[in-house]
Amino acid sequence: MRRKLKKPQKLNLIPILDAIFIFIFFLLMSAQFIDIYEIGSDAPITSTTNMKMDKPPLNLTIVLSGKKVVVKTGLDENVYKSFSVSDLGKLNDTLIELKKQNPTENSAILKPAHNFKYDKIVKVIDHTREIVKPDYYITALDKDNKKYPSKVLFEKIIFETQD
Amino acid sequence: MKRMFFKGKQRRAKEPMEIDITSLLDVLVILLVFLLKSYNASDLKLDLIKNLAVPVSDARKLGNHAIIVQIDADKNIFVNQKEIGKITASGEHQNLLAELKRIKDNIRSPAEAKSKSVNLVFDKSVPYKVMKGVMHTSAIAGYTEFKFIVQGNY
Repeated sequence: MRRKLKKPQKLNLIPILDAIFIFIFFLLMSAQFIDIYEIGSDAPITSTTNMKMDKPPLNLTIVLSGKKVVVKTGLDENVYKSFSVSDLGKLNDTLIELKKQNPTENSAILKPAHNFKYDKIVKVIDHTREIVKPDYYITALDKDNKKYPSKVLFEKIIFETQD
Repeated sequence: MKRMFFKGKQRRAKEPMEIDITSLLDVLVILLVFLLKSYNASDLKLDLIKNLAVPVSDARKLGNHAIIVQIDADKNIFVNQKEIGKITASGEHQNLLAELKRIKDNIRSPAEAKSKSVNLVFDKSVPYKVMKGVMHTSAIAGYTEFKFIVQGNY
């Protein structure tokens, strides 16, 4: 008896094609071809408190003048370090140092000069909020005082105006 | 009669023609991967106005839906795509304040009425003086949570 040669069965691709078409329409509708993100900052609020502090607050202030970035600390705003605007890597290193000394602090006050450009302010914010070096982490504490590696420095940015 | 014509030469029944959709499927899969890569889960839909270049940043937080204030390189003010004037040399923003207050008064949904967020889209050449004025005006109008919109550099 001779066996008949069977034709190879073809896959029915129509249902998968239907599904892909639906996916494409859905994704085309929600596609945004420019990656947009946000940097949050709240308007400064003043309040009086009777809380007693064990340690004086860091009161980290970054003053941005025409060509200089000055890091000030303490309620008296003592100059901690100053750098050129083009050397923001040093600013990041200084803030890493300050964060290690004050792990619970998370806010920084930014005082740009009136003519300081927005794109430079954004760069300073980037260097203030996070560690820029790719494989460098600092130890942070969570709510239960457990240690974990983190890249976050002073993520809460408050704007203030120079006198 | 017909049978007589085709006697001995019987026609074979033709099989239905099949279209090869493999290549089409390839194209669609590539398109799907491309669109999936550019998919953004954010509910912020932003149409940038002309003459506005957003600065690049390392920020990774996705934006949220809120009122959008845009300031272009010529310091024209747009609120939700509507041009409302230009920033004056004196730094007054009466038009902006009036528009923000009008929008706040016309909000109907309670969730939106509670929101204090405002998306600020500035051209990268805008000086801090202008930024400060817009932030101050927004805060007076009741929008105290500023969200600076930036472009990711990934």
